[in-house]
Amino acid sequence: MMTRDDILTGVLLDEVALSLDELACACAVEPNWIVERVEAGFLGNVAAGQITRWQFSSTELARARRLAAVERDFEANPELAALVADLIEEVERLKARLNAAGLPLA
Amino acid sequence: MEFRDYYQILGIAKTATADEIKKAYRKQARKYHPDVSKEADAETRMKEVNEANAVLSDPEKRAAYDQAGSRYRPGQEFQPPPDWGTGFEYSGDGAHGFYGDQSAEFSDFFSSLFGQAGGGGGAGEHRARGGDHHAKVMIELADAYHGATQTITLRAARLDPAGHVVTEERTLKVQIPKGVKEGQHIRLAGQGSPGFGGGAAGDLYLEVHFRPDPRYRVDGRDVHETVPVTPWEAALGATIEVPTPAGSLRVNVPPGSQAGRKLRLKERGIPGKPPGDLYLVLEVVLPPAATDKARQLYETMAREMDFNPRQGMGA
Repeated sequence: MMTRDDILTGVLLDEVALSLDELACACAVEPNWIVERVEAGFLGNVAAGQITRWQFSSTELARARRLAAVERDFEANPELAALVADLIEEVERLKARLNAAGLPLA
Repeated sequence: MEFRDYYQILGIAKTATADEIKKAYRKQARKYHPDVSKEADAETRMKEVNEANAVLSDPEKRAAYDQAGSRYRPGQEFQPPPDWGTGFEYSGDGAHGFYGDQSAEFSDFFSSLFGQAGGGGGAGEHRARGGDHHAKVMIELADAYHGATQTITLRAARLDPAGHVVTEERTLKVQIPKGVKEGQHIRLAGQGSPGFGGGAAGDLYLEVHFRPDPRYRVDGRDVHETVPVTPWEAALGATIEVPTPAGSLRVNVPPGSQAGRKLRLKERGIPGKPPGDLYLVLEVVLPPAATDKARQLYETMAREMDFNPRQGMGA
């Protein structure tokens, strides 16, 4: 029985990758939803044709959740959600570079 | 528990059509989407908007909500009617009829209305894994260097022994592993929603973010830190003591350094495979000419040194 004082130790994603089913569960979508977006090139960088061996990283979990949220919240089609996610990720990268250079965002 | 006016949250009239609800939802989603919104409470507001939309866009739930809420005003103390749930049949499976387990993030008010799991069927008739949960956790940069234990408090919907959904707060002590990066996830097995009918519990994913610290800027595993130095340390070179997320380090400033010079301390960034680097950006700080002695020293330099920093500009 776990008590309040027990310290939980998790695994760091990327040290351990997510399988297709695990990613689907984590995004609350059907595995087929993931497969469609991987095959369309919107998600992940995995070799086609070996679905059971697909592995997903922490970055891909964040992207998959973002795609799902944009599709759901705006009833966006997958192409548009992928475009939005690309743009958000690009802005995040540029913000990180500005931040690393010590420059203000605005 | 306070009554929530979903119509007010979406900014629509109680007579709104399905189209008007959809339009209002998209407008609010655009405003509060955490990815793009500049509003401070965007995430909370987006959850409210999602919750309002989940109810009002579903004709069955909207009808049930309208009936239960007809006597309430926003913020008023709310008790579900004793006969709640009778007379309505949900085609979905209760709270889990929404997009995955999104409803786990909804309010107590929502849980009290629609939290009866498996409407009609009930738990126990099928075996299902519990939903995964997600939460963000803020840590200090130093925690990524050394590892740490963080106490986090989460609210989550759980099934009570009678099969009803109740919202409870729980406090977890979590080991933050050394080497974690901004945006990376820690997966805690079995800490999500409990399973149904003997199914396994879901997992809890913690997305790690660093608490902003004006001293440090992080880029992947690389860390950038501005270090103030005196003009003589920059010009003549010196060994200086620098507080860093890795602890205090003694660093050699090469002679002839200018402001903005970057000193790269290999593998002193966030640990990992490979570890990041720590970049110290030198900032030359002039002592104020606030005393006679200081003024004399500046005057001596002005007189004795042949130095024109605007030479390259043709001045």
